[in-house]
Amino acid sequence: MSTGGEKGSATTKTPADFLKSIRGRPVVVKLNSGVDYRGILACLDGYMNIAMEQTEEYVNGQLKNKYGDAFIRGNNVLYISTSKRTLADGA
Amino acid sequence: MATEEESAVKEPLDLIRLSLDERIYVKLRSDRELRGKLHWVTVWLLQAYDQHLNMILGDVEEVVTTVEIDDETYEEIVRTTRRTVPFLFVRGDGVILVSPPLRTA
Amino acid sequence: MLFFSYFKDLVGREVTVELKNDLAIRGTLHSVDQYLNIKLENTRVVDQDKYPHMLSVRNCFIRGSVVRYVQLPPDGVDVDLLHDATRREARGG
Repeated sequence: MSTGGEKGSATTKTPADFLKSIRGRPVVVKLNSGVDYRGILACLDGYMNIAMEQTEEYVNGQLKNKYGDAFIRGNNVLYISTSKRTLADGA
Repeated sequence: MATEEESAVKEPLDLIRLSLDERIYVKLRSDRELRGKLHWVTVWLLQAYDQHLNMILGDVEEVVTTVEIDDETYEEIVRTTRRTVPFLFVRGDGVILVSPPLRTA
Repeated sequence: MLFFSYFKDLVGREVTVELKNDLAIRGTLHSVDQYLNIKLENTRVVDQDKYPHMLSVRNCFIRGSVVRYVQLPPDGVDVDLLHDATRREARGG
């Protein structure tokens, strides 16, 4: 558990700051195709390439696949959003 | 030689580089999936803002999923076709997701 | 190391180039450039029944961006060499 993330989000100013602050946190990554990936953000780079852990793939809201680790190529990414685990579990 | 420093995931691409010589899963555009042994991966910069992720996989199984609509019942018919290829170069621009094998700690 | 140098080693070998429009062309690799544009000779389309208009095409230039896969000749793949190249790039960048 890093407290750096919470501290970071309190002082978030730029998109880059946001991306820095969400490492290690549960996120939802939506692709241009509409597919959602939920998991823990391991790291990301300037191309929006993403490495995730405990990744779940949702197509039309339905769980389709699970991956231990997943690399997502940045050009497919529509957005990255932080998610609360409780919300994800309830969905 | 893999040192401690090299085997840590610092950036997303490390996840793929660390899967060298292991069977990985690759999800591609147009509903294609590959499973194969990763023999080569290279990052090819087209422009400062555009990069490719070309790969060579060995002992590859490809699964293509197609959805057809039945002419009469309008039901969706999902078909999967499989084939194997000994060695396949995959152009990186079609790649959506890469997943290394599960490493049970 | 230039990323396409590996392909240069395959010049003169038989490869199958699969395009993003599903057309698959088999032929002898004549040349390849930095964009991965490919020139094939003695070509034949894999599914000739589906693409009869390609019957008379004997050689062709394929723009790199339309390529989905290239099927490589198994005996033309030096796995150790590829592994080394991948590790070298990982260290360099």
